[in-house]
This record gives sequence, C-alpha cells and structure tokens, in this order.
Amino acid sequence: MAEPSTTDADALMSAYLDKQLAPEEAAKVEQLLAASPEAREELDGLQNMLKLVKGLPEVEAPPDFYEKVAKKLRRRRGRGEVLWMLALPFQVLSVVMILVVAVTYMLLHLEHDPSVKLERDPAAKKTAELAPELAPVVP
Amino acid sequence: MTDPDPSAATPRVVDLGTVVEPDEPEPPPPDDASLSPQAREEAARRAEQDRRDRRLVRKLKEGDERAFQELVTTYQNRIFGLMLRMIGNRQEAEDLAQEVFIIVYRAIGSYRGEGRFYTWLYRIASNTCKNRIKYLKGRNFHRSVEIEDSPQAQLPASEGGAVVTFQSQVPGPEATVEGSRMEQVIQRELAALDPEHRLLIVLRDIQGLSYQDIIRITGLQEGTLKSRLHRARLALKERLQPYLR
Repeated sequence: MAEPSTTDADALMSAYLDKQLAPEEAAKVEQLLAASPEAREELDGLQNMLKLVKGLPEVEAPPDFYEKVAKKLRRRRGRGEVLWMLALPFQVLSVVMILVVAVTYMLLHLEHDPSVKLERDPAAKKTAELAPELAPVVP
Repeated sequence: MTDPDPSAATPRVVDLGTVVEPDEPEPPPPDDASLSPQAREEAARRAEQDRRDRRLVRKLKEGDERAFQELVTTYQNRIFGLMLRMIGNRQEAEDLAQEVFIIVYRAIGSYRGEGRFYTWLYRIASNTCKNRIKYLKGRNFHRSVEIEDSPQAQLPASEGGAVVTFQSQVPGPEATVEGSRMEQVIQRELAALDPEHRLLIVLRDIQGLSYQDIIRITGLQEGTLKSRLHRARLALKERLQPYLR
C-alpha cells in the first residue's frame, strides 16, 4: 500500500502533540500553525480523534487466562510425548526394514558376482584352472 | 505495504521461533537530574519492573512454573488488550494472547536478557498478531464486533446516531450504552486501517507506550515512526470524521 506523502511539518504534527519534538522542530510546527488555519484545523481534528481513542476502556483478560495457557501447554507437552511414543515402533520398524533391504540386496548382488562365486566354490575354481575356456567369464 | 521511506528498518523478528532481542540501551538511572520528577518516578517504576522481570525470567529458565504464572498475570491484560484492539474479536484475541505466552515459555531459553523482557514480549505479540491477520485475511475472516450497522447508528450524536464521546454529559445506563456503541465504532474503523498503522495507534494511543518502546518493538527508526504514526492518525481521523465534534 502506498502511503500518501506528507510534508515535513505535517509529519511532525503528531510528534508535536505527543511532545516528542526538539525545540527547533516544535518551533517549526508552531510557525506552521500560526500561518495556516488548515493546519490548526488538522491539529484540532487530531486532538479530538485522540481524545476518543484514548478514552477507549481498558480491557481485561478473562480471570482464568493463566489456567487456560497452562492447560494448553500441558496438552501440547502431553501430545508431544504421545506422538513420540507412537512414532517409536514405526521408527524401529523403518530401521529394520532398511537393514533387511540392504542385506537382501547385498546377498543378491553377491550371488550374481561370478568372481565371488569362484572364490566361494572350490570345484568351479579347479575347473577354471584346468580348462579356462569353460570357466565363467569374469568381466 | 510499500514504504516510501528508505530509512525504515527491517524488523528483526523474522520468525516466531527465532525471536531476536532488540539491541537497546539500559534505561536511564532514576536519579538523573535532567529528568522531571514525573519522569524520574516513571523511570524508577520501570527500573523496578525490569528488575522484577529479570528475576522472574531467571527463575523461569530454571524451570520455575510459578515465575511463568507471575509473568503471565503481570502482562496478560496488556497482551490481551493489544490483540483485541488489533483483531477485534474477543475469542480470537484470547487464543492469540495465550499463544504469545506459550511462545514465550518455549523461547525463553533463547532470551539472553540483554533487552527488556517487556519489549521482547511485545515483539512476539505484534509479530504473532500480524501473522494471524495475514492468515485471517487469506481466509476471509469476518470480525464479530457487534456493531449496529443501521444507517441511524452511523450518524453523529447530534443527528440521533452514535455518541461522540464515552463520557456523556448525562451519566447513567444510556451513557453506558452509547459509550459501548462508540467503542464498537472506533474498533470497526481501527480494524479498517492497514495493520502496520493499526499497530502504531494501538501501541501509542491506546496502550500509551513511549516512542522509545515502540521503536524497540517495531524496529522502526524514529523518523519513520513519527511520520507513519502521523499517517495512521490521519487515516483514523478521516474514518472517524462523522463522530468528531
């Protein structure tokens, strides 16, 4: 949202009402007020508006506010623990599954690797020594 | 919102989970001779409040639940008030205010205690609130402020509409009803403002925070705060024009 531009002295008007200006800045606003009826009108309007807004009654939180906060905290903590407990078996199962898949893969891989087969099977090793052309080709 | 002022500082709170403490100087000592008696009294009161907050925060970090309760009860009205004026719905404001204290409870470990607890809390609250407003805007949330929308109710008091001031000349039930209606009108017009403008009006004009505190909470620079607050007030004045004498 583009904010409308305001002149320097205009922008100082609110701070002037709040007594937040340095003496030279306040003097600048007072000069503007002395010279411009529109500026005075704007200042009056702002003062009236502020009177209304500042007159808004103070609101109070419900009397059981803290109890509700504490209850929410307890519930969330409890929920966190329950979720952790619920998640634990699944986490263990996931790790076991990953291990099973990894071991199965390794075993299958070893089964298809002829060089490993040669090492594990003494008969095949002997055949390979006697008749190399009959032995499985090792890539 | 496009801010034409390049001096606007980037808010230092980027996420609710990572609330960064503002760098702020220690408050002036209460016996500073340059201060007026009222200012000295105010500074002394604040220094006492800060000491109390620091002690409660330290206890809370050690896991003392009673310290948390004390902090909540100290600030619950102010935070609830901020939320109610920003959101305009009591139930929503209560939920949000509770959420703020839950965030405080969880993030207290990251609060180093260098800045004031008070401004840290308000930073969390204003960011929580702004995020909620964005969320509600996306869901087309309608505030449930009970405002009489009849044309008669929108007229100034002189024309038989809502009253101009809370303190009617004639005290009694009628004045109470009229005051309540005016409160709803202001709440409605406040809700129509841009959230950034609304926040400044609520912090400064409704909650009465000092410019220095607002600067610490919003991360704005002083010049930006002054001009933006002025624009916010002008916008609200424009909207409340029919009710101003």
